Parts: sequence; C-alpha cells; structure tokens
Amino acid sequence: MRKGKNGSSDAAVRLSDGTGERRHGRLYREVVRHRSVYLLVLLPLIYYIIFKYIPIWNAQIAFKNFRAVAGVSGSPWVGFDNFMEFFNSFYFWSLLRNTVMYSVGKLLISLPLSIILAIAIYECTRPVLRKVVQTLAYLPHFLSWVIMYGILLTLLAPGDGVFNDIVKMFGGTPVDFLSNTSTFPWVVLISDAWKEMGWSAIIFIAALMGIDVSLFEAAMVEGANSWQRVKYITLPAIAPVIVTVLILKLGTILDAGFNQIFMLYSPQVYGVADIIDTWVYRQGLLDFKFSLATAVGLFKGVFGMILVLFANWISRKVTDSSLF
Amino acid sequence: MKKYQRAIALLMIALVALPVFAGGGKEAAATAAGTPDDPVTIDLWFGASMTEAGMIPEDWVGYDIIRNELGIDLKLTMLPSSESDQDVKVQAAGAGNALPDLFQVRRPVLVNLVNQGLVADVTDCFDKMPVRTAQQYDEASKQNTTIDGRIYGFASPGMIVRNEGLLVRKDWLDNLGLEVPTTTEEFLEVARAFTFDDPDGNGIDDTYGYGAFVETDANLKGYPGSRLWPIMGAFGVEGLWCFDAPNQGLNIYKPEFYDFMVFLKEMCDEGIIDPNWLSYKKDDFRAAWKQGRFGMMYEQNAAYAAEANYAPFDKNFPDGEWQIIDAITGPEGHAAIGAYDMNYRIYAVSQKAVDAGKLDKICELLEWMSGDEGYYLLGWGQEGVNYVLDENGIPVAGDLGDNAFTGSKGQVYTQLRNMVFYNSDVELTSRYPTYTCAVSGKEMSALKALREMQGMKWTNAIGSSTLPTPSADVQRFYDQSLAEFLSGAKELTPENWAAFIDQFNKIGGKVWNDEGVAQLEAEGLVRQ
Repeated sequence: MRKGKNGSSDAAVRLSDGTGERRHGRLYREVVRHRSVYLLVLLPLIYYIIFKYIPIWNAQIAFKNFRAVAGVSGSPWVGFDNFMEFFNSFYFWSLLRNTVMYSVGKLLISLPLSIILAIAIYECTRPVLRKVVQTLAYLPHFLSWVIMYGILLTLLAPGDGVFNDIVKMFGGTPVDFLSNTSTFPWVVLISDAWKEMGWSAIIFIAALMGIDVSLFEAAMVEGANSWQRVKYITLPAIAPVIVTVLILKLGTILDAGFNQIFMLYSPQVYGVADIIDTWVYRQGLLDFKFSLATAVGLFKGVFGMILVLFANWISRKVTDSSLF
Repeated sequence: MKKYQRAIALLMIALVALPVFAGGGKEAAATAAGTPDDPVTIDLWFGASMTEAGMIPEDWVGYDIIRNELGIDLKLTMLPSSESDQDVKVQAAGAGNALPDLFQVRRPVLVNLVNQGLVADVTDCFDKMPVRTAQQYDEASKQNTTIDGRIYGFASPGMIVRNEGLLVRKDWLDNLGLEVPTTTEEFLEVARAFTFDDPDGNGIDDTYGYGAFVETDANLKGYPGSRLWPIMGAFGVEGLWCFDAPNQGLNIYKPEFYDFMVFLKEMCDEGIIDPNWLSYKKDDFRAAWKQGRFGMMYEQNAAYAAEANYAPFDKNFPDGEWQIIDAITGPEGHAAIGAYDMNYRIYAVSQKAVDAGKLDKICELLEWMSGDEGYYLLGWGQEGVNYVLDENGIPVAGDLGDNAFTGSKGQVYTQLRNMVFYNSDVELTSRYPTYTCAVSGKEMSALKALREMQGMKWTNAIGSSTLPTPSADVQRFYDQSLAEFLSGAKELTPENWAAFIDQFNKIGGKVWNDEGVAQLEAEGLVRQ
C-alpha cells in the first residue's frame, strides 16, 4: 500500500463508509501521483482563468454604453446598439470582405506551403542542409512587422526597390506594390506566408516524426518512389493534424492579422486593406468607444466559434476525424 | 483531504479576486502628510523629450530633491513615442479608471476623457502656480484646454511653431544654371530639370524634383499632409480648415483644392515627385534626402540642420547645399509655406488624483519645475555634471563628454525637459548651437534655419486643434478618396470630384464641416 505525502492511506479510505469519500480519496491519490503534470498544467490554467475567463464578465459592455467612472456594472444598458453601429458602418461589407479575403487567402497559401516545407525538411537526407533550411525558414517569424515593412520597402519601393530595379532593367514600368490596390493584397498574403511558413511547419514536422519508419521501409522495398511515399504514407498520416489545424484556424477567421495590415496599409489602399481590426482600432480605441470595440470582438468570437463547431461537425461526418 | 480541498478553494478564490486588486488598493496618498518622511506619491506619465534615448535612471538626483523639498515621491512612466500609441495607452488606462495622477495627453483624447468624467477641472489652479503660469499659460493656452467653459489641462508651449520650410538644393540649381523658383510654373520647371537633367552630374537617372511623405492628422494638416503645404499654399488650400470668410470651413470644399489636386497629379504622372512618397515613412524620407534623391522638400529646421541630422548629408555631399526659400506663388497669387497652430503639450490631472487630495501637491510640483532649480535640473541636468554655463549664461556641453546633456549618458537626465521648456532664447541657443560640419567645414545652425523659416509666409490656423474631428469612416473616406485620385485608381475629373464631394457630404463630411464652421464662428476665429 502506497502512502500519500501527508500520511493518508488506502486503509484510511477503506475505513470511511461513504462512496463519495472513496472517490475523493482516489482523486487525491491520482493528483499526488501525477503532481508534476498538474504543476505543469497549473500555470497555463492560471493564465487562462485570469486572462481568458474572468474578462468574459467584462464582455457585457458590448451591450452597454460603457462609462469608465461608472464601471462595467454601473454603465447603462443599450441593447444591441453597439452591434448595430458596427453592422451599419459605411464600410461594414468592405471590412468583412477584406477580413475574410485575407484570412482565407492566408489559409490557402500558408497552409499548403507549410505542409510542403515540413515534408521537404523531413525528406531531406542531408542533416546540415536540413538544419540550415529549417533555421532560415523559422527566422522571419521572429522579426516584427516593423522590420518586415523595412525589408518590403527595400524590395518593393517604386523608386529604388530591388524588384522595380529589375523591372526597369528590362524596360518595364515600376509598380508601387504597397500603394496599388491590385498588388497590395498579394504583398500581404505572400509576405505573411514568407514570415510564418517555417513556424507553422513545426507542428507538421512533429506529426511527421510520429510516423512509423517501417512503413517507409516497406514502401521502399515495394519500389515506391518519393512522391508515392508522400502520397500514400506521409499525407494520410498527418491528415488528422491538418484537419485539426484547419479547424482551429477557422476559429480565428475574422482575425486577418492586425499588426501586418496596420504596418503596411495606407489611405490609397484602404479599399482593399482596411480590415475589421484596423477599423476597430481607429473607431473603437482611438475614439474611446470601448463598448463598440468589445461588441465587435464578441461578434468575431461568436462567429469563429460557430465556424469551428460547424467545421468540426463536417469533418467528423466526412473524414471521421475531428477535434472534439 | 479537507486541507487539500481548502487549499484548492483558497487558490481559486485568490485567482478570481486578483483583478479586483489589479488597480491597486486605495491610495495611501490621501492620508500622506506630504513630508520627506511621509511623501505623497505622484504618478506622472510624460512624453519623452528624446524618444530614441532611454528612461531617466533610478539614481537621478531629482527624485531626492523632489522628495526632500516637496514631500513628493515621484513615479515616472515614459509614454510611447508615437501619438496613436500614446492615445491608446492613456485611453486604455481611462477605460479602467486607472489614469495616473498627472499625464500628457492630446486634445482629442482629453475631450474623450473629460466626457467620461475622468479628468479634473483645473480652472482654479493657475493662481497656485504664479511663476509657471507667467511662463507657460497665457489665455490662448488656457483656451486650448477649455471645454464647456472650464479648463481641464495645463497646455504648455510645445514644439516651436513655423519651424518648417521649403528647401531647394542650391548646388543643383547652380549646376543646371537655374534660379530659385518663385511661382508654380518655375517650380515645375526646376522639378523637371532636377528629375531629367542629371543635377548631381553622376550620369545616372536617380534624382527627382520634389520629395515628400504623407504626414497627416485630423486637425491641422489633413490629407495629403503638411509635406505638400508649399504647393497647397500656392493654391490657398494649406491646412485642413480655412479660417477666411466667406470660405470658412474645410478647405476641400474650395474649388482651388481641386486645382491643387490636378497640379499634384501632374507631378505624379510626370514622375517629378519621388514615386516612393506614398510609401515613405518619416525616417525613409529623411534617409532619402540625405542620399541625394530629390532637390526640393519641406523639412523641419532641426531635422534638416541639427548637427547629428545634417552630418550624413554633409558626408555624402560635401559640396551639397540646401537653401531655405520662400513660398511659391500660385496662379491666383496665393502663397504660403504652410498653416500653423499653437503646438501645445497638454498635461491633465486625473479626477482620481483630485479625489485622493493630490491636486495641491501637483500644482506645487509644477511650480517647482518652472523655478530656477527645477528648470535647469529638468532642462539640462546638474550643473558641472551635465552642463556648464558659458559667458552668456547659456548652458553648454563644455568638456563634459558623454555626461553632458547632449551626450549619450547625460541626455537621459533631460527627458522631462519638455515639461519646463517654453522656447525661450536660452533654450533655443543652447539647443541649437552653431557648429562646423566635419567634412565640408561649413558653418551650420539650426537656430538660424529656424529664424529663416519663421520669417517666411505662413497662414495663421490657430484654433485648428480645438475644432471637431471626423468619425473614422469619414476620415477614411476623405483620405482614401484623395489618395485614389493621386494614385490614379480613380480618375481625377470634375465629375468624379463632384461625386466624391457629394458622397463625402452624405456619409458625414457635411456634418463635420458644419460643426467646425459653427465653432469657428462661435469662437470668433473667422477672418473677414
């Protein structure tokens, strides 16, 4: 019989006559036995309680005319006025279109590229090359969008950007990529893919590491080439991870990347650049309309949750693989 | 088992209760005696005088002096350098009813905070600060922070006004045998020559006539911003608002604004304005003129002529020379370098601080800052350590090296100088000393440049900062539409312009204009 740290024992539990007491005793022993794991969980749990769950109480200001002096509870209720202000905004549909365009665009470009990069790194047989590629691919993730803007300006500026120098060398007309409504969305999507592709590939590389090597060996014995191994072993093996990532990404479909757009956009591309978050920044935060900002945040959250539940349901029906 | 349950329960209660205490408990200051042994804590959020330098160190002698002489325990927090970041930080604190006791704030944010009841009425405080009031707070300053007849902040003279100017590369003019442009026609000729006639003689097509970037706001400048002001001035549409009857209101309604847009569009189409101008941020623009990319620009005196700023240009072009020129005259005879308002730095007191009984101590602190001891300590640091006085009584760096107020170690001790400076001659002479360029050996002075710039034709737009600002949607429509006309995304024709004005009115532009006109008239700001 194993004793707990405080001297309690199974015998003590047996002496008690309530089944609930026995259940608590078992729970206690399990917690003590796995205390290191529970300790690991504790910090994220505290984080989530403080920064995610408790603030939900404050979400009520989405339905109020928030007055700082009156506080969250004391501010007067205004029903759905803040939501209506957002939905009736002159630019609502443009904001929604741009936001979804960038979110979906990033998903369509970044996700396949991350998977391809992960597979390429996994398949690479030269360790040095693999490490170099991996490091170089991760590196842009750690650069802020301020730095990235500087790099993009050096590459894309119409006057002396590297790309436009090449265009001019071949007799073409320079293009102001950052100020042109046709090119701006591509700059956003491609620069995001470049910055985040390596980082996003980590989860897929981790999934690839979990594949039974004997499957590859068997396939090679059977004469399968690299492409066939990827098609019939690698991709099916990491499919659940891809589905999980996809479902999770759908939850943030209305987060199109505030930092990036905020750094890159300018009035001449507002038409294709202004997203919900940049609008909220200007209309909500700079104008002290915290209720409006909260209402939009709540709308995004609810919309994202519905999408996640829907995608999860579809995934379970179609692929038999789901998040929950 | 019960112990375990109790521990978990306590932990959960503590976690849930944490946010309740996040803003701190009740301030002890209300009961503090305000003596060195029992000082009143004053939390001050200030705008740094040098955003690129660090925070005032913990060992700053000022902390001890303020504690010992005033019975104040001063807690300093440096606000972010960008105005919008500052606004967000202050408003976020306001939303949590956690504003500091004394804080720098821009006027539009001040109005928001006053509407929320978060800022204290300081109308009666000026008599408690006779020295500081005489130095810094005149009637115009008080008017700047007056809302509904009460004063809600201390507005000190901020950045020097009319400190920007139109500059032209004199060496390029000489190389091409051209004269300083005085009209829009001549301006275009010079810009074309600078673009197409290889003014630097390097045999490469790498120069442009005019350089700029979009520097805008919703009070004084408006899109496309002050860097185009000398051109806008030639059409009489410099600044966001027109103060002259019978055209009082937004300048965009004047027919001359369309003429200006056509002029600027032609410059864009001809490629005689640096094509990067719509993408440049301020630092990119400043790097570009130092690399010799364009021959005319609108720049601030110190950004152009202060030693550290001019040095890269001097190194790259020892024979290069910028000349400050007067405003160019447009087709209807208009000419202005730009529009100016008083650039006040506003410090507001939170209602929370007043409720905690700190207002008198705050006044005491501000008054001390403007006295001899505070003025020099905050402005230049410690005498003999960070500055010495020259024969004229002007603080100078002397041989103090890095510890001098101009040195990398010493400059951090002057981060609060904007709270005491009021653009006196002593300050300007000290701040902008005459120097000799390291490479070319030229004698330069940012003060001389300032005086020249101030002597040019300027349009008085004092009061712009108090006029109403548009909603985010109206602001976006205004900026975006003008940008699209300039970039060619929307064709600039009279019909399209009329359609733009019509739509602008519909989404709230007219309301914005009408409110502004009403205020201009009510405050007697309209010039007949």
